[in-house]
Amino acid sequence: MQAADPDIELARLAQAGDARAFEALVVKYQRRIARHVARFIKSADDVEDVVQDVFVRAYRGLASFRGDSQFYSWLYRIASNAALNHLRRASDDVLLGDDAPDERISEFAPGVSDAAQPDRTLMAEQIADAVQRALAKLQPQLAEALMLFEVEKKSYAEIAELLQIPIGTVRTRIFRAREFIARRLEPVVGPRRDRRW
Amino acid sequence: MSLKVSQLLDGQLSTEETQSVLAELAANPAERDRFTVYALIGDVLRGNPTPDDAYTHRILERLRREGASIEPGFDPLRDPIAE
Repeated sequence: MQAADPDIELARLAQAGDARAFEALVVKYQRRIARHVARFIKSADDVEDVVQDVFVRAYRGLASFRGDSQFYSWLYRIASNAALNHLRRASDDVLLGDDAPDERISEFAPGVSDAAQPDRTLMAEQIADAVQRALAKLQPQLAEALMLFEVEKKSYAEIAELLQIPIGTVRTRIFRAREFIARRLEPVVGPRRDRRW
Repeated sequence: MSLKVSQLLDGQLSTEETQSVLAELAANPAERDRFTVYALIGDVLRGNPTPDDAYTHRILERLRREGASIEPGFDPLRDPIAE
């Protein structure tokens, strides 16, 4: 049985014309989609172009999302299609095949392929470092809930069952973990509201 | 509101609550920042790339620049070369 789609409310609102709902989905999935596209395409600039293509196509085609699959699965398929079509159109120096997928991902990771943008690499490293340091200082039960959700991709209900705690407690622990880390990220990411969505 | 922003990210709100929190995000840059940073934390934990701040802005600008709208007959899974 397919798990409930955590994005169904945002997807339905976006389909009904609420652009803010779609923007929230962009913020939520832009990096995951970028990581996926980077499995096919080496150039960071081309990856960004294709990621933009993906979200433009997803927005235009929102009416075709019927909820048969989860929203992210649908978006993932659009991304695969867009990346493969980019390869067909461009003469790109691409590593194909599954022999070194992790290597492909790490090549894209924090601006490594952005040789002309060392600032981006440094910023990405600082962010990753700040998150890991905060995680190390976080109360274990908060860290556990957050990692089960974000990394293990467990639902709130699954986490509640696993840890034998109420769903409300799962909700609160994840929130408190995020707040703790966010406060420690503030000196690194700063209040750059003019460049955010 | 902070807890609601966390719940929005996780798909834990009803339709009405989602609309309410989205309205708050639209009106309050600090809450938009909060949503952005919460999403960023998850991506960092999963090892996803963390491009520059303006990445989101450029995606949304492209949507606006192209005047993208929802097109009932458009299938995003089709080969774009065939369009």
